[in-house]
Amino acid sequence: MAGNPEPRGGALRNLTRVTLTRLDKVLYPAAGITKQDVLMYYIRAAPFFLPFLYNRPVTMHRFPDGIGGEGFFEKDAPADTPEYVEIFNHWSETAERDVPFVLCNNLDTLIWIANLASLEIHTTLSTTTSYNSPDLLLFDIDPEPPLTFDDVIDVARVVKDHLEARGIRPFVKTSGKKGVHIVVPLVSGYTFSEVRDFAHGIGKDIARDTPKVVSEFPRSRDAGTVFIDYLQNAHGKTMIAPYSLRATPGATVSTPLQWEDLSPGIHPEDFNIKTVLSRDGEPWREIFDNRQKIR
Amino acid sequence: MGNHGGKFLTTGRKSADTLPENKKTTTAGSGKKPVPLKKAGTTEINEVHLLPEKEENQGTSGRPFWNGSITIGLVNVPVRLHTMVRDRSFSFRLLHREDGQPLKYDRVCTHDGRVVPWKETVKGYEIRKGEFLVFEPDELKAVMPESDRKIRIDRFVYYLSLDPVYFESSYILVPDRSEEAYGLLVAAMQDLGRAAAGTITLRTKEYPVVVHVYDGALILTTLHHADEVTKPHATTLMPPIPVPKEKELLLAKRIITDLTGDFSINDYPDRYHEAILDLINKKLAGEKIVYQEPHSEEAKELMQALQETIATLARK
Repeated sequence: MAGNPEPRGGALRNLTRVTLTRLDKVLYPAAGITKQDVLMYYIRAAPFFLPFLYNRPVTMHRFPDGIGGEGFFEKDAPADTPEYVEIFNHWSETAERDVPFVLCNNLDTLIWIANLASLEIHTTLSTTTSYNSPDLLLFDIDPEPPLTFDDVIDVARVVKDHLEARGIRPFVKTSGKKGVHIVVPLVSGYTFSEVRDFAHGIGKDIARDTPKVVSEFPRSRDAGTVFIDYLQNAHGKTMIAPYSLRATPGATVSTPLQWEDLSPGIHPEDFNIKTVLSRDGEPWREIFDNRQKIR
Repeated sequence: MGNHGGKFLTTGRKSADTLPENKKTTTAGSGKKPVPLKKAGTTEINEVHLLPEKEENQGTSGRPFWNGSITIGLVNVPVRLHTMVRDRSFSFRLLHREDGQPLKYDRVCTHDGRVVPWKETVKGYEIRKGEFLVFEPDELKAVMPESDRKIRIDRFVYYLSLDPVYFESSYILVPDRSEEAYGLLVAAMQDLGRAAAGTITLRTKEYPVVVHVYDGALILTTLHHADEVTKPHATTLMPPIPVPKEKELLLAKRIITDLTGDFSINDYPDRYHEAILDLINKKLAGEKIVYQEPHSEEAKELMQALQETIATLARK
């Protein structure tokens, strides 16, 4: 029944150390997307994706039964993590132990993560070289109904103008769900609280002048508002990585955009597993050549 | 050098430390045929059969699972309930890699890490994370439905009107010195194409059930309660489904008609089960088990993507 016990061909095996399993498992039932499609996507995205993830601990959001099933977060490297996966051990105050984080530092690790049906890959705002000091600032901008993505675009542009007025060049991506993420690459040496205070300050300035914008967490779920979330700028917090898939029915991607692409009429669903890699150019290609001071 | 591959039996209960050194494990490098570990007095297992070989061995053992009667109004038909569906799935024991001995599970207190004996346990319902309502066994017993040993039939329905999404588990109803009444029920239900619907209390749970005729016998199938089954359009999974175009619909119907035939469950063998059985027997025969690549057609696209990405990464 199981046939010839000798390996056949083995060409795939010469290309990756990962043992691929259950390739025809459907992970996105509504869109009919299988594990093989997800692997294909991450392999094709790797040239953009890996440089961003380098030395940045990742949290896996795994969906072994597809997005209809129960997903779970995996922060620690699992017990059977293969040897080609680099591990970063870091003392966790909350867990009171050394936590082994996965670093997605090579193609095989990315393939391994995808093969675990970790559709979503979340990552920290700092790297292992200075784990307590963020090298990215994040504004997480989300609408509350009845406001829509068009309102998010308005607010994102206001945030951009405020930053540019201070001589700061921000980068933008869709979250893959309802909002956008605005990211500023930072020079080294900042603390999380400095970055958080700066982001909060910008949020407060904008909320004062813009009716629908809220900058404070207690009001973040008020209907008809857009929340500029600064709270993610904290030790151990993560954001969805650029180019990560999301567990949404349409297999959306958290997609880096050119600012001029962010215009009314576009929808987060436009950027998905099928469309993102066929675009020209790479909007965040220069992100780490533009590390900046915030003031 | 490990023990992967070759035949490697371990002895279960007995500690491997008490065995002579040269018999502890089979040595892969010695060139000798591996010697399996055996318990004194046991015979060597050469082949594993998980399917019973003879028809009469199939299925259910002599002991009924429940007995009582089918009650339709004032009529009672005494029956015994026997299991019908066997779970053939393989269960692997978890072993300690070092000495091949089985591991056991303990109830460990999450607070102090100590093993807690059964008699010191109590049931709790988690109302919020980390907050429990404690229930004594008597309190739970008080609300358990009483089993009155009756399969209460409320009505008869067309068997084909039942949707399989509600089906849970099927049992064979065997007449309990009630062959005549039983035979009458079988014949009447079969002629009318009806099934009986009602309730049964098994152990501590009341189930909706249907009873229908299969292979000349009455079969009881427990059903899920309505709120256990998700309606597809009540979830966010389902996108809006457009109404198909007339022409496409005709074509789709033609394809379906062409592929229409009689259903036979034997057309769908359990390939995973067969493969595992095969694996066990190969291991017993001392063969090395090698992971097989996915089919080449599947792998082709992936290989091409991999080659391109590896080339791109190498240029960077």
